[in-house]
Amino acid sequence: MALELSPKMQAFTQEVFPAFIGTARKNGSVELVPVWFEQKDGSFWINGGTNRGWFKHLQRDPRITLLLVDPKQMFRWAQVEGRMVKWAEDPGGEHINHLSHRYLGHDYQNPRTGRIKIQIEPLRIIGSIDGWR
Amino acid sequence: MAGAKTASVLSPAVQKLAAMPILITIATKRADGSVQLNPVWFELKDGFIWLNSNTNRTWPKNLQRERDVTMLLVDPKLPDRYAQIHGRLVSLIPDPQHEFIDRLAERYTGEKFRELEPDEHRVTLKIQPVTVTGALI
Repeated sequence: MALELSPKMQAFTQEVFPAFIGTARKNGSVELVPVWFEQKDGSFWINGGTNRGWFKHLQRDPRITLLLVDPKQMFRWAQVEGRMVKWAEDPGGEHINHLSHRYLGHDYQNPRTGRIKIQIEPLRIIGSIDGWR
Repeated sequence: MAGAKTASVLSPAVQKLAAMPILITIATKRADGSVQLNPVWFELKDGFIWLNSNTNRTWPKNLQRERDVTMLLVDPKLPDRYAQIHGRLVSLIPDPQHEFIDRLAERYTGEKFRELEPDEHRVTLKIQPVTVTGALI
């Protein structure tokens, strides 16, 4: 069952910084990259291409861990363990353009074709935002 | 791994970023195969990445079991610039006099580390970078 975000987590996830996502490769090692994200209605949404390593990993094992860290105050952080519950094409790149506005304040400058959006349901959260658990 | 570079020598760009007092994110695997992420203090010295932890934390236990770690350094001003460093734990060094954690605390806070708790034991983890990928190679 999806975890309901606390009011503090709701507020923290509206702040603008990249999420670092960890996914498991077939050989057991972890891929770790920064991505843009958005939290909406309790789910985390990220955007990518079907050729991304991390997306291939998620298709095999939907478990994903996100680390959110305030770059200005490093002790403010949350680790979100979740799973990919849905992915869909992003026709016309509407979602990546929406994320570009959230992060950069302007239209997405790179090609908007072949993009997908991924929905992640949070299952467990630890870190300093909700108090240590 | 496509585009991976052998990290026998980290590039000047990565070294420059590592010299800043920013956190490194480390990814370890739990026994159930799930991924654990932690932001931690570090130092790059003599070609190794040095970390320190309380011995009862989960991530050093994961690291001792797997000996495999993926680390992420991100330029705080330009998050598109990052280095993903895959490394191996080469040794675990007890830090009974908390010398290394004091050194890390000075790097990040300008002060020595706090007093240790009565049952707290610190350990230093020496990591050999193996490959580097990302937009800061």
